[in-house]
Amino acid sequence: MVVLREGMCPGLDADLVRDLRAAGIKTVEDVVSSDIEDLAQRCSVSYKALFAIRRVLLAQHAAFPVSGADLYEELLSSTAIISTGNPSLDKLLDSGLFTGEITELSGGPGSGKSQVCFGVAVHVSLHLKQSVIFIDTTGGLTASRLLQMMQTESSNPEEQTEALQRIHVFRLFNIFSLLDCLFALRSGRLQQACAGSVKAVIVDSVSAVISPLLGGKQNEGMSLMIQVAGALKTMAKDFNVAALVTNHVTRSDSGGVQPGLGVSWSHIPRTRVLLERRGEGGGGRALQSALCDPDQVLQTALSHQGRVRPAVVEPLERGVVGKEKTGRD
Amino acid sequence: MTESGAQLFARLEARRCLKDIEKKLFPGDGGPENGEVVELYGSEGTGKTELLYHLLSRCLLPLSAGGLEVDVVFMDTDYSLDMLRLVSILDSRLNAARSSSSSSGSDEEVLGSCLSRLLVVHCSSSSQLLLTLHFLETTLTSRPRVALLLIDSISAFYWPDRCEGGTSVTKQEEKLSKCAELLGRLLRDFRITVFATCHAIRRNYSGPSSFSSSSSSSSSSSDIDRPFLCRPWQRLVAHRLLCSKETTNMAANNNREPKRRQMFTVHCTSSSSSSSSSSSKTKSYRSSSFCITDAGVEFI
Repeated sequence: MVVLREGMCPGLDADLVRDLRAAGIKTVEDVVSSDIEDLAQRCSVSYKALFAIRRVLLAQHAAFPVSGADLYEELLSSTAIISTGNPSLDKLLDSGLFTGEITELSGGPGSGKSQVCFGVAVHVSLHLKQSVIFIDTTGGLTASRLLQMMQTESSNPEEQTEALQRIHVFRLFNIFSLLDCLFALRSGRLQQACAGSVKAVIVDSVSAVISPLLGGKQNEGMSLMIQVAGALKTMAKDFNVAALVTNHVTRSDSGGVQPGLGVSWSHIPRTRVLLERRGEGGGGRALQSALCDPDQVLQTALSHQGRVRPAVVEPLERGVVGKEKTGRD
Repeated sequence: MTESGAQLFARLEARRCLKDIEKKLFPGDGGPENGEVVELYGSEGTGKTELLYHLLSRCLLPLSAGGLEVDVVFMDTDYSLDMLRLVSILDSRLNAARSSSSSSGSDEEVLGSCLSRLLVVHCSSSSQLLLTLHFLETTLTSRPRVALLLIDSISAFYWPDRCEGGTSVTKQEEKLSKCAELLGRLLRDFRITVFATCHAIRRNYSGPSSFSSSSSSSSSSSDIDRPFLCRPWQRLVAHRLLCSKETTNMAANNNREPKRRQMFTVHCTSSSSSSSSSSSKTKSYRSSSFCITDAGVEFI
């Protein structure tokens, strides 16, 4: 909804805005949808002037069609695949996180969602030398843990410091500050806040701020959830960053595990990885498995250095709907 | 409103009919006629998008590769258009066509001409959707080869609209109703065909979910499959394609049995008003199954 204001386009002065308002035309949509001929008579302006205004307003506010060929060209030059630093997870994700897309990690408590996020952040900042935006909504991120993970990868303290500097952490504990942050990042602060180019935005966890708002008969929560999704998607597309979010899981009536945040959210992520704790191993090792659409099973091992390291990948079935990406060169 | 000669001509000139877009999908001999709306409905991971890409690639491909060679406008409200996937589908179909018959032109060229037949619009709110539909009127006028409008998805702004509208249902549905009305007019004027996807918004508690490890009874598709969008939109829809995933027993999958392909079913309900008695609507049904490969949807 865009409210009509004077000076929005040539010919739209204060008098005309007032006249239009008196005729019940308050927004751009109203102008565009109304019968111009009839409106011109009611507001006693020339049909030609009003028609021109309508055309300009439409051009200003409608989305402009782009040719598919141009879009593909642009995509080829801008899309990057970001390795998670974890060969088996990369294999599962078809070589890594894709920029312009939302990837979701869902799993129960202690299934290693946050650890995978830390691993990705460390890999991107330390090895790929790119900036990472880490939005922490649970307070689970500690710098010492990141450092600990970096120390297993690199022994150079300077390198570690630089890498840590490339991870920009936002601690946000409600949906409004999350939205605020996403909108601010989208409106240009993304590149400004971080000197280097940002390649990944991680939200751990997205469900922690959304799920308290859901339920009951209110629609506000759903609306806010869709807004968060929209902000993440447009940011991912416009700035070519990979978005990684974490989600909790719930149990269905039949006992199966299903991703949290309900059906409306389920359409949002492009790829979902389900992490599962599998058995209790001795000596700080716990086997985990991840399902990417229930078709692919990934076993991960959380070693005592704490780095999540998937051991075996068993792609049981390929050709998962909409989740498979092929034909890249 | 005045109309130029070119506009009149673009409006009256017959657009390519998409009745034969996919014979295996629609009941009887009836694909979508000019000016009809097809809705693809289903929950996450039921093959809606793949089906949409299948139909889209059929429209974009040149006649020599078994396509229809028409222009398509793709309205992406979900920001979900995966160009790379679309290109890989087009590519494999072009290759298949090339191996069977020798056609001229290099790969890149043919692919480029396919993609140039596609126009993509991204919309981020329902008001923008409405304005863009108004704007499309000029696009349709200037491009008489546009025969198909795809909307992925029409339900994208359902929750924001519900919230913005406050307590009044009419207010909540106002935007989409306006879009539907306008779309109705565009359909009448330009005789294009519309395909739109619609996401399920309720979980099917009785049936198996996409992640459930032991799926048992097949669901009675009553509650979740009920249309939830506004009445003006429902009235536009002539064919409803209900997508679902065929249930597989995941428990058996763990012991490395031979790979099985995931099957999808699509159930089509067409309501076409017969010409003799315009008031009574006859409904016809058809179910078909498909699986998804690297080359896109394959019907079985």
